[in-house]
Amino acid sequence: MDFLQPTSWADALAVRAERSDAVPIAGGTDVMVDLNFDRRRPGALLDLGRVPELREWTVEDGTGGVGATGGVGGSTVRLGAGVPYSRIIDDLGARLPGLAMAARTVGSPQIRIRGTVGGNLGSASPAGDAHPPLLAAGAVVEVESAARGVRRIPAAEFFTGVKRNALEPDELIAAVLVPEAVGPQQFCKVGTRNAMVIAVSAFACALHPDRRAVGTGIGSAAPTPRRAPEAEEFLAGELESAGLWESRGDLPDGLARAFGERVAAAASPIDDVRGSAAYRRHSLAVMARRSVTWAWAEYQQDLRKAA
Amino acid sequence: MTTMDRLVGAGVDRIDGPAKVRGTAPYAYEQDPGEPIAHLAVVQSTVNRGRISRLDPSRAEALPGVLAVLTPANAPRLGKGLASDLPVLQSLDVHYQGQVVAAVVAETSEIAKAAVGAIAVGYDAEPPDVALSPDREDLYAPEKLMAGFATDSIIGDVDGALAAAVVSIDATYETPTQHHNPIEMHTSMARWDGDSLTLWDADQGPHNIVNDLVTGFGLDAGQVRVISPYVGGAFGSKAFTHPNQMLAAMAARVVGRTVVYELTRQQMFSLVGHRTPTIQRLRLGADPEGRLTAISHEVVEHTARIAEFAEQTATPTRVLYAAPHRRTTHRLARLDVPPPTIMRAPGETPGMFALESAMDELAVVLGLDPVELRIRNEPERDPERDLPWSTRNLVECLRTGAERFGWAGRDLRPGVRTEGRWLVGTGVASATYPTRRRKAQCRISVDGAGRYVVEIDGSDIGTGAWTALTQIAADALGTDMASVELRIGDSRLPFAGGAGGSTGLASWGTAIVFTARDLRKQLDEQHGGQPPAGGLSVDGELPGESPHAKTHSMHAYGAHFVEVRVDRDSGEVRVPRATSVYDAGTIVNAKTARSQLLGGFSMGVSMALHEGSVTDERYGHYVNHDLAEYHVATNADIGEIDISWLDVDDQLANPIGLKGIGEIGITGAAAAVANAYWHATRLRIRDLPITPDKYFRELGES
Amino acid sequence: MDSQITLRVDGAAHPLAVDTRTTLLDALRERLRITSPKKGCDHGQCGACTVLLDGRRVNSCLVLAVTVGDAEVTTSDGLAVDDVPHALHRSFVEHDAFQCGYCTPGQVCSAAGILAEARAGWPSAVTPDVAADTVELTDDEIRERMSGNLCRCAAYANIVPAVADVARAEGVRR
Repeated sequence: MDFLQPTSWADALAVRAERSDAVPIAGGTDVMVDLNFDRRRPGALLDLGRVPELREWTVEDGTGGVGATGGVGGSTVRLGAGVPYSRIIDDLGARLPGLAMAARTVGSPQIRIRGTVGGNLGSASPAGDAHPPLLAAGAVVEVESAARGVRRIPAAEFFTGVKRNALEPDELIAAVLVPEAVGPQQFCKVGTRNAMVIAVSAFACALHPDRRAVGTGIGSAAPTPRRAPEAEEFLAGELESAGLWESRGDLPDGLARAFGERVAAAASPIDDVRGSAAYRRHSLAVMARRSVTWAWAEYQQDLRKAA
Repeated sequence: MTTMDRLVGAGVDRIDGPAKVRGTAPYAYEQDPGEPIAHLAVVQSTVNRGRISRLDPSRAEALPGVLAVLTPANAPRLGKGLASDLPVLQSLDVHYQGQVVAAVVAETSEIAKAAVGAIAVGYDAEPPDVALSPDREDLYAPEKLMAGFATDSIIGDVDGALAAAVVSIDATYETPTQHHNPIEMHTSMARWDGDSLTLWDADQGPHNIVNDLVTGFGLDAGQVRVISPYVGGAFGSKAFTHPNQMLAAMAARVVGRTVVYELTRQQMFSLVGHRTPTIQRLRLGADPEGRLTAISHEVVEHTARIAEFAEQTATPTRVLYAAPHRRTTHRLARLDVPPPTIMRAPGETPGMFALESAMDELAVVLGLDPVELRIRNEPERDPERDLPWSTRNLVECLRTGAERFGWAGRDLRPGVRTEGRWLVGTGVASATYPTRRRKAQCRISVDGAGRYVVEIDGSDIGTGAWTALTQIAADALGTDMASVELRIGDSRLPFAGGAGGSTGLASWGTAIVFTARDLRKQLDEQHGGQPPAGGLSVDGELPGESPHAKTHSMHAYGAHFVEVRVDRDSGEVRVPRATSVYDAGTIVNAKTARSQLLGGFSMGVSMALHEGSVTDERYGHYVNHDLAEYHVATNADIGEIDISWLDVDDQLANPIGLKGIGEIGITGAAAAVANAYWHATRLRIRDLPITPDKYFRELGES
Repeated sequence: MDSQITLRVDGAAHPLAVDTRTTLLDALRERLRITSPKKGCDHGQCGACTVLLDGRRVNSCLVLAVTVGDAEVTTSDGLAVDDVPHALHRSFVEHDAFQCGYCTPGQVCSAAGILAEARAGWPSAVTPDVAADTVELTDDEIRERMSGNLCRCAAYANIVPAVADVARAEGVRR
């Protein structure tokens, strides 16, 4: 097995183009498990740990340029594919609260210090904890090849099957572009123990008051992480028609529950050792109801803070 | 005049602690064999039953760095008389999935692992038969159970009494296959010098392993030395010889240098035993005041095609409660599974889940406090052997525990307490485990300066034996701990049985006490009480069971009180606090004993909420064979645990008065959790583990 | 394919040849015979192999030795300075925060990691105020943050006070 360790992004893309048998490795928390399990025997490992471009996050303003500081609505965080979860937890809790919440539950603390969003997108596990908040936030995955340059793929289109993604063999994941939160975001995860647990099911939601929209992301309850578009439209529509985006009044009785039922309906779970399909649906409904209730309470709180 | 404080009872820090926290205490692979170490990796069968039809080692043999590939065709022949799955690579027949069918020895672990992948194996296989059911027509009664217990016990007219009972319970409980999963994987490192074998090994007692190596390799006992001073957890899986010891020794002989075989975590699920799954039908009959008139406990469990292991699951039911009519039975199915083995409190752990859950169910039907129900059924004598107790303080454990936990005034009604989204409940269960001791020999030497060396092949698998035995020896010798050098964990030392059955301190400690008495007598009578300039060495022995064991029934007891919280929306379960009180006789080291009891109870919580190896009935393997999917409790799963013990000793059991503490903590713990879960939710979970999805299964919502 | 590397471990530099497949854990245990970090699963599921890499805790079984470069590897043994035990070493012994001791060097390294993480204000899944500058290591915080290290002997209820005592002494707990 060859070991390839480019020290710049351009070199990494060149190596990737030459060696389609190479497995890219970032923090190693997915790839090393496969190697140590002997589940795969790649011809080469392409270590991205020395590519400085991947280890930075920056804020881009609404026009796509890079601003010095962000925090204003309309900005986007350009999260290098090699930024570990611990930095997301430390640096990005305010800008990307949903992703930061999920990051605090990824694997174990040791895993969070090494593991990266880019790496987990590469593995594309249906149980990846970062995926639901990326979907809910409307993130875009930026991939690049030496031959064809940059492609930007909406997260919702990036996952193509169980542990499969939209990457071409000569492409690498450069970054994830995540719109900064303009409203409350929540992430919930149910597991069969209290820590260091692969999700039985997971759910993320994001309120986007600027465009009067709701974002969702479902984990561990379908062949891929996925959104619940019908639930998003339902909730956004109900909030709109009741004038709640402006009034920030209480959610009508039953609305959160109805949203939860629609989220559960969007899943297509299976029975496995971690939980039954029925439980996955049920817990999704519970998490969706809870998380939207919490998010709405936060939205109401924001107004009181502003007043 | 100075007085020496008694060391037994004191909470002395572990003498092996400073080395362990830094990681410098040498476990099996960390010993220095004096030469470069070759690494062994194995190919395991992918079928449960059949015969190897094709096995081509040539690609692996051709890899640089590969020293040898062992297969049934070329492996050294082992001696006859090896049991179970110890005749490794001796036949083309496959008896369970995961059986070793080839082994690679290579210069490095990476090369060995890569070579394993280069070996193609074909099988003529039959479909796996791995599903345990009480309806199987091939269930059979074994001749006897583990540890010599009778298969069945029948007293009186159980069916008649059950039919006549005013109040009765008839329920079936299930416990899943469980795997020990000590964090140190089983590891054996073998070196031959001529016809002498040295094995640095992870086991619960070097003498337990020596005999199988003697048999397998046609040696004299003096030609085998097994060394295991530090062992990274065991819980029963390291009690007996498994294929790893045979393979390491075999491979080292073939390649002519030291070979280590360190199992992978996945291999821990097939090569070193497991706890059998059980299906247990409990029937209890009682009068309206809650006095039991009949107890019936019928157990169905599995064993392997190639080895009979009959777990003594219903044996606690033979001693715990009074009832005139009683029956316990055990039936086995022989399946295409790896050989099961002992796992922490074999018998009591699954058996007490069923019995103590059923007692809770009976208390519910009677509308009686479950503590009071147990007290009302306290037997004056052993109800089946009709013997007096050596000491028995179960009732005091229950009363003391109730007091410490704050049980008084508990509302009997289930499902009525909420805190936010959490349903809150409390539960109780008894604990019991037999008190035994075994033969052990000991040598104590003293030099002219009054420094003692105590030698005995005891074992410390985390129990604290290093420290507790030193305390016992210091007291018995009338000296301080610093003047005693203990040597354990080496088959060259005087014989002792391994750590297991909670017999360690009772056996090794008593042998030390006896030998120390002899030494002091000789010093007093022949040397004026002073060690002679040339030193003195005395050999002593504990013959075996207590002379009172035939006339008295000897057991440790305990009571667990547990609070459980269940998320009423998601079904997630938490155990925020618990109280356990034990009657375990003399406590030798208050610090390490507390850890043992804490660890046992916590493993019971883990069993209640997390653990279970899931069998794929079509393909015959364990689906969740790693620590990401076979969940054991994490730090965040364990809450506040209050551990205490009664100030009692049991002088009939042994001169130290101890009853053994390695296993009592786990017995009954899972039932206490399940009982508290019922009290929180109204839902009775009779099949472990209590996972969130079972909440909705019981609610009928999914 | 072998590579020649130099690992800096507990203050000493060790030149060695490793297979590109060799993990940091195997390089330490099998090549250098530095056996303070333990192997418990080889898949990042137990934490027994935890070491500090430039002061941050990592599962050494998930790190390829060839990627370590100049980073400083610290094992539990290396936390002792001039053979004087670290405060965590003493606290773990005093609280009997282990039984078999096999997961313990990993637990100690993890504990050293969380003290630094709390000082840096990294929130956990149970931190009430995720924006705070420092985090107080309450019992619940310790439980959550130490949950990457399995202890099958289940010394958890002793590990929590063992870490808490040191956290208090270092000012990250009241």
